[in-house]
Amino acid sequence: MEEMIQDDQLDRQLREAAPYIDDDGFTARVVSKLPSPGRAPRSMRGIILVGITAVGSAIAYAISGGRFVNEAIIRLSTFPIWILLVFAFGCGLIVGACAVIAAIRKTPEVRDLGRLQS
Amino acid sequence: MALTDADLVARVLLDDDHHAFAELVRNHQSSVRGLLRHLTRTDVTLADDLAQETFLRVYKNLRTFRGEARFSTWLYRIAYNCFREEARKRKELVGIDEERLQTEQDPQTTDPALRHDLMHALSLLPLHERSAVLLCCQNGLSHDEAARVLDIPLGTVKTNVLRGREKLKRTLAAWGPS
Repeated sequence: MEEMIQDDQLDRQLREAAPYIDDDGFTARVVSKLPSPGRAPRSMRGIILVGITAVGSAIAYAISGGRFVNEAIIRLSTFPIWILLVFAFGCGLIVGACAVIAAIRKTPEVRDLGRLQS
Repeated sequence: MALTDADLVARVLLDDDHHAFAELVRNHQSSVRGLLRHLTRTDVTLADDLAQETFLRVYKNLRTFRGEARFSTWLYRIAYNCFREEARKRKELVGIDEERLQTEQDPQTTDPALRHDLMHALSLLPLHERSAVLLCCQNGLSHDEAARVLDIPLGTVKTNVLRGREKLKRTLAAWGPS
Protein backbone atom coordinates (compact mmCIF):
# COMPACT_ATOMS: atom_id res chain seq x y z
CA MET A 1 0.00 0.00 0.00
CA GLU A 2 1.34 3.41 -0.90
CA GLU A 3 2.17 5.76 1.96
CA MET A 4 0.54 9.16 2.12
CA ILE A 5 2.68 12.25 1.52
CA GLN A 6 3.63 14.04 4.75
CA ASP A 7 2.40 17.60 5.49
CA ASP A 8 5.85 19.19 5.42
CA GLN A 9 6.72 17.37 2.19
CA LEU A 10 3.49 18.59 0.59
CA ASP A 11 4.15 22.16 1.76
CA ARG A 12 7.69 22.00 0.37
CA GLN A 13 6.41 20.72 -2.97
CA LEU A 14 3.78 23.47 -3.07
CA ARG A 15 6.43 26.11 -2.40
CA GLU A 16 8.76 24.65 -5.01
CA ALA A 17 5.97 24.41 -7.54
CA ALA A 18 5.18 28.12 -7.17
CA PRO A 19 6.96 29.66 -10.14
CA TYR A 20 8.79 32.98 -9.80
CA ILE A 21 6.91 35.25 -12.16
CA ASP A 22 9.17 37.64 -14.05
CA ASP A 23 8.28 41.29 -13.62
CA ASP A 24 8.15 41.76 -17.41
CA GLY A 25 7.08 45.41 -17.21
CA PHE A 26 4.42 44.83 -14.54
CA THR A 27 5.96 47.25 -12.01
CA ALA A 28 6.34 49.94 -14.69
CA ARG A 29 2.66 49.56 -15.63
CA VAL A 30 1.58 49.92 -12.01
CA VAL A 31 3.81 52.95 -11.37
CA SER A 32 2.59 54.66 -14.57
CA LYS A 33 -0.96 54.51 -13.17
CA LEU A 34 -0.07 56.16 -9.85
CA PRO A 35 -1.19 59.75 -9.33
CA SER A 36 1.63 62.29 -9.75
CA PRO A 37 3.57 63.04 -6.53
CA GLY A 38 1.70 65.47 -4.29
CA ARG A 39 4.35 68.20 -3.96
CA ALA A 40 2.06 71.06 -4.88
CA PRO A 41 -0.50 70.51 -2.07
CA ARG A 42 2.29 70.34 0.52
CA SER A 43 3.82 73.68 -0.59
CA MET A 44 0.32 75.15 -0.77
CA ARG A 45 -0.20 74.21 2.87
CA GLY A 46 2.86 76.27 3.85
CA ILE A 47 1.70 79.26 1.83
CA ILE A 48 -1.77 79.09 3.39
CA LEU A 49 -0.32 78.91 6.92
CA VAL A 50 1.97 81.91 6.37
CA GLY A 51 -0.88 83.82 4.71
CA ILE A 52 -3.31 83.15 7.57
CA THR A 53 -0.66 84.21 10.11
CA ALA A 54 -0.01 87.46 8.22
CA VAL A 55 -3.70 88.26 7.86
CA GLY A 56 -4.34 87.45 11.56
CA SER A 57 -1.47 89.72 12.62
CA ALA A 58 -2.73 92.53 10.41
CA ILE A 59 -6.26 92.26 11.84
CA ALA A 60 -4.91 92.22 15.44
CA TYR A 61 -2.79 95.29 14.67
CA ALA A 62 -5.70 97.13 13.10
CA ILE A 63 -8.14 96.33 15.96
CA SER A 64 -5.68 97.44 18.66
CA GLY A 65 -4.90 100.66 16.79
CA GLY A 66 -1.21 99.72 16.80
CA ARG A 67 -0.85 100.63 20.48
CA PHE A 68 0.63 97.33 21.67
CA VAL A 69 3.42 97.52 19.11
CA ASN A 70 4.43 101.01 20.23
CA GLU A 71 4.34 99.95 23.88
CA ALA A 72 6.45 96.87 23.16
CA ILE A 73 9.06 98.94 21.30
CA ILE A 74 9.24 101.47 24.14
CA ARG A 75 9.60 98.65 26.70
CA LEU A 76 12.31 96.95 24.62
CA SER A 77 14.28 100.19 24.32
CA THR A 78 14.54 100.36 28.13
CA PHE A 79 16.15 96.88 28.34
CA PRO A 80 19.96 96.59 28.65
CA ILE A 81 21.61 95.77 25.34
CA TRP A 82 23.08 92.41 26.58
CA ILE A 83 19.60 91.08 27.37
CA LEU A 84 18.49 91.90 23.82
CA LEU A 85 21.57 90.14 22.42
CA VAL A 86 20.96 87.02 24.55
CA PHE A 87 17.29 87.04 23.51
CA ALA A 88 18.18 87.33 19.81
CA PHE A 89 20.84 84.58 20.13
CA GLY A 90 18.38 82.29 21.94
CA CYS A 91 15.73 82.82 19.26
CA GLY A 92 18.32 82.03 16.59
CA LEU A 93 19.31 78.81 18.39
CA ILE A 94 15.69 77.64 18.69
CA VAL A 95 14.92 78.36 15.02
CA GLY A 96 18.17 76.67 13.93
CA ALA A 97 17.45 73.56 16.03
CA CYS A 98 13.95 73.30 14.56
CA ALA A 99 15.40 73.60 11.04
CA VAL A 100 17.96 70.83 11.69
CA ILE A 101 15.28 68.50 13.13
CA ALA A 102 13.00 69.16 10.15
CA ALA A 103 15.88 68.52 7.71
CA ILE A 104 16.74 65.19 9.41
CA ARG A 105 13.13 64.05 9.38
CA LYS A 106 12.83 64.88 5.67
CA THR A 107 16.05 63.10 4.63
CA PRO A 108 15.49 59.35 4.10
CA GLU A 109 19.22 58.48 4.18
CA VAL A 110 19.70 60.05 7.63
CA ARG A 111 16.53 58.36 8.90
CA ASP A 112 17.73 54.94 7.70
CA LEU A 113 21.15 55.52 9.29
CA GLY A 114 19.45 56.24 12.61
CA ARG A 115 17.43 53.02 12.34
CA LEU A 116 20.51 50.94 11.52
CA GLN A 117 22.38 52.28 14.55
CA SER A 118 19.50 51.62 16.95
CA MET B 1 21.78 46.89 2.12
CA ALA B 2 18.23 46.16 0.89
CA LEU B 3 15.51 48.21 2.54
CA THR B 4 12.78 46.41 4.44
CA ASP B 5 9.09 46.70 3.59
CA ALA B 6 8.67 49.00 6.60
CA ASP B 7 11.42 51.34 5.31
CA LEU B 8 9.88 51.45 1.84
CA VAL B 9 6.38 52.08 3.23
CA ALA B 10 7.77 54.91 5.39
CA ARG B 11 9.41 56.50 2.33
CA VAL B 12 6.20 56.34 0.33
CA LEU B 13 4.21 57.87 3.19
CA LEU B 14 6.67 60.64 4.03
CA ASP B 15 7.91 61.64 0.58
CA ASP B 16 5.37 60.11 -1.79
CA ASP B 17 8.41 58.30 -3.20
CA HIS B 18 7.37 56.45 -6.37
CA HIS B 19 10.75 54.69 -6.56
CA ALA B 20 10.19 53.20 -3.10
CA PHE B 21 6.70 52.08 -4.11
CA ALA B 22 8.10 50.53 -7.30
CA GLU B 23 10.55 48.58 -5.12
CA LEU B 24 7.64 47.31 -3.00
CA VAL B 25 5.79 46.22 -6.14
CA ARG B 26 8.91 44.50 -7.53
CA ASN B 27 9.45 42.63 -4.23
CA HIS B 28 5.89 41.30 -4.02
CA GLN B 29 4.62 41.14 -7.60
CA SER B 30 5.52 37.48 -8.10
CA SER B 31 3.77 36.18 -4.97
CA VAL B 32 0.67 38.36 -5.51
CA ARG B 33 0.36 37.49 -9.19
CA GLY B 34 1.00 33.81 -8.40
CA LEU B 35 -1.68 33.78 -5.70
CA LEU B 36 -4.18 35.47 -8.00
CA ARG B 37 -3.36 33.11 -10.87
CA HIS B 38 -4.18 30.16 -8.62
CA LEU B 39 -7.33 31.80 -7.33
CA THR B 40 -8.54 32.58 -10.84
CA ARG B 41 -7.55 29.09 -11.98
CA THR B 42 -4.57 30.47 -13.89
CA ASP B 43 -6.37 33.08 -15.97
CA VAL B 44 -3.18 35.07 -16.45
CA THR B 45 -4.75 38.21 -17.90
CA LEU B 46 -7.44 38.48 -15.26
CA ALA B 47 -4.94 37.70 -12.48
CA ASP B 48 -2.54 40.40 -13.68
CA ASP B 49 -5.36 42.95 -13.95
CA LEU B 50 -6.36 42.11 -10.39
CA ALA B 51 -2.74 42.31 -9.24
CA GLN B 52 -2.46 45.77 -10.80
CA GLU B 53 -5.68 46.84 -9.08
CA THR B 54 -4.31 45.40 -5.82
CA PHE B 55 -1.15 47.50 -5.93
CA LEU B 56 -3.07 50.65 -6.88
CA ARG B 57 -5.34 50.09 -3.87
CA VAL B 58 -2.28 49.53 -1.70
CA TYR B 59 -0.91 52.90 -2.82
CA LYS B 60 -4.20 54.69 -2.15
CA ASN B 61 -4.71 53.10 1.26
CA LEU B 62 -1.13 52.91 2.49
CA ARG B 63 -1.89 55.41 5.26
CA THR B 64 -4.33 52.92 6.76
CA PHE B 65 -1.57 50.29 7.08
CA ARG B 66 -0.67 50.41 10.78
CA GLY B 67 2.14 47.89 10.73
CA GLU B 68 0.38 45.58 13.21
CA ALA B 69 0.50 42.73 10.69
CA ARG B 70 3.21 41.96 8.14
CA PHE B 71 3.00 44.08 5.00
CA SER B 72 2.59 40.91 2.92
CA THR B 73 -0.42 39.83 5.01
CA TRP B 74 -2.07 43.19 4.42
CA LEU B 75 -1.19 42.97 0.73
CA TYR B 76 -2.67 39.47 0.36
CA ARG B 77 -5.84 40.65 2.06
CA ILE B 78 -6.26 43.43 -0.49
CA ALA B 79 -5.49 41.00 -3.32
CA TYR B 80 -8.03 38.53 -1.99
CA ASN B 81 -10.67 41.28 -1.68
CA CYS B 82 -10.00 42.33 -5.29
CA PHE B 83 -10.42 38.73 -6.37
CA ARG B 84 -13.63 38.31 -4.35
CA GLU B 85 -15.18 41.44 -5.84
CA GLU B 86 -14.28 40.30 -9.34
CA ALA B 87 -15.61 36.78 -8.65
CA ARG B 88 -18.87 38.26 -7.43
CA LYS B 89 -19.10 40.28 -10.63
CA ARG B 90 -18.37 37.33 -12.87
CA LYS B 91 -20.20 34.72 -10.78
CA GLU B 92 -17.99 32.03 -12.27
CA LEU B 93 -14.30 31.79 -12.81
CA VAL B 94 -12.66 30.91 -16.07
CA GLY B 95 -10.86 27.69 -17.02
CA ILE B 96 -7.29 26.52 -16.76
CA ASP B 97 -4.60 27.86 -19.06
CA GLU B 98 -2.29 24.95 -18.31
CA GLU B 99 0.02 25.42 -21.26
CA ARG B 100 0.82 28.96 -20.09
CA LEU B 101 1.31 27.73 -16.55
CA GLN B 102 3.74 25.03 -17.69
CA THR B 103 5.98 27.49 -19.51
CA GLU B 104 6.34 29.65 -16.41
CA GLN B 105 7.41 26.95 -13.99
CA ASP B 106 10.67 27.43 -12.14
CA PRO B 107 13.25 25.19 -13.81
CA GLN B 108 14.87 24.46 -10.41
CA THR B 109 11.83 22.63 -9.05
CA THR B 110 11.78 18.87 -8.79
CA ASP B 111 9.78 16.67 -11.12
CA PRO B 112 7.85 18.61 -13.80
CA ALA B 113 5.17 15.90 -13.94
CA LEU B 114 4.69 16.04 -10.16
CA ARG B 115 4.56 19.83 -10.35
CA HIS B 116 1.94 19.62 -13.06
CA ASP B 117 -0.16 17.14 -11.07
CA LEU B 118 0.19 19.24 -7.94
CA MET B 119 -0.94 22.43 -9.69
CA HIS B 120 -3.79 20.56 -11.33
CA ALA B 121 -4.86 19.02 -8.01
CA LEU B 122 -4.68 22.45 -6.42
CA SER B 123 -6.88 23.97 -9.12
CA LEU B 124 -9.49 21.27 -8.45
CA LEU B 125 -9.88 22.22 -4.79
CA PRO B 126 -12.90 24.34 -3.88
CA LEU B 127 -12.06 28.03 -3.59
CA HIS B 128 -12.17 28.23 0.23
CA GLU B 129 -9.77 25.28 0.62
CA ARG B 130 -7.53 26.43 -2.26
CA SER B 131 -7.19 29.93 -0.77
CA ALA B 132 -6.33 28.58 2.68
CA VAL B 133 -3.79 26.06 1.32
CA LEU B 134 -2.17 28.66 -0.95
CA LEU B 135 -1.78 31.21 1.84
CA CYS B 136 -0.66 28.84 4.59
CA CYS B 137 1.27 26.12 2.75
CA GLN B 138 2.63 27.96 -0.26
CA ASN B 139 3.02 31.56 0.93
CA GLY B 140 4.00 30.69 4.49
CA LEU B 141 1.32 32.63 6.36
CA SER B 142 0.29 31.45 9.81
CA HIS B 143 -3.30 30.27 10.31
CA ASP B 144 -3.99 33.49 12.19
CA GLU B 145 -2.65 35.65 9.35
CA ALA B 146 -4.61 33.66 6.77
CA ALA B 147 -7.77 34.13 8.85
CA ARG B 148 -7.20 37.90 8.69
CA VAL B 149 -6.57 37.81 4.94
CA LEU B 150 -9.63 35.68 4.20
CA ASP B 151 -11.75 37.38 6.86
CA ILE B 152 -12.98 34.08 8.27
CA PRO B 153 -12.64 32.49 11.74
CA LEU B 154 -9.34 30.87 12.68
CA GLY B 155 -11.00 27.46 13.15
CA THR B 156 -12.43 27.59 9.63
CA VAL B 157 -8.97 28.30 8.20
CA LYS B 158 -7.51 25.33 10.07
CA THR B 159 -10.31 23.08 8.82
CA ASN B 160 -9.92 24.31 5.24
CA VAL B 161 -6.15 23.78 5.29
CA LEU B 162 -6.58 20.31 6.76
CA ARG B 163 -9.21 19.28 4.21
CA GLY B 164 -7.30 20.85 1.32
CA ARG B 165 -4.10 19.07 2.35
CA GLU B 166 -5.87 15.73 2.66
CA LYS B 167 -7.41 16.08 -0.80
CA LEU B 168 -4.07 17.03 -2.32
CA LYS B 169 -2.39 14.10 -0.60
CA ARG B 170 -5.06 11.71 -1.84
CA THR B 171 -4.71 13.03 -5.38
CA LEU B 172 -0.93 12.81 -5.23
CA ALA B 173 -0.83 9.48 -3.35
CA ALA B 174 0.65 7.75 -6.38
CA TRP B 175 3.81 9.84 -6.05
CA GLY B 176 4.36 8.61 -2.48
CA PRO B 177 7.07 9.95 -0.15
CA SER B 178 10.40 10.53 -1.89
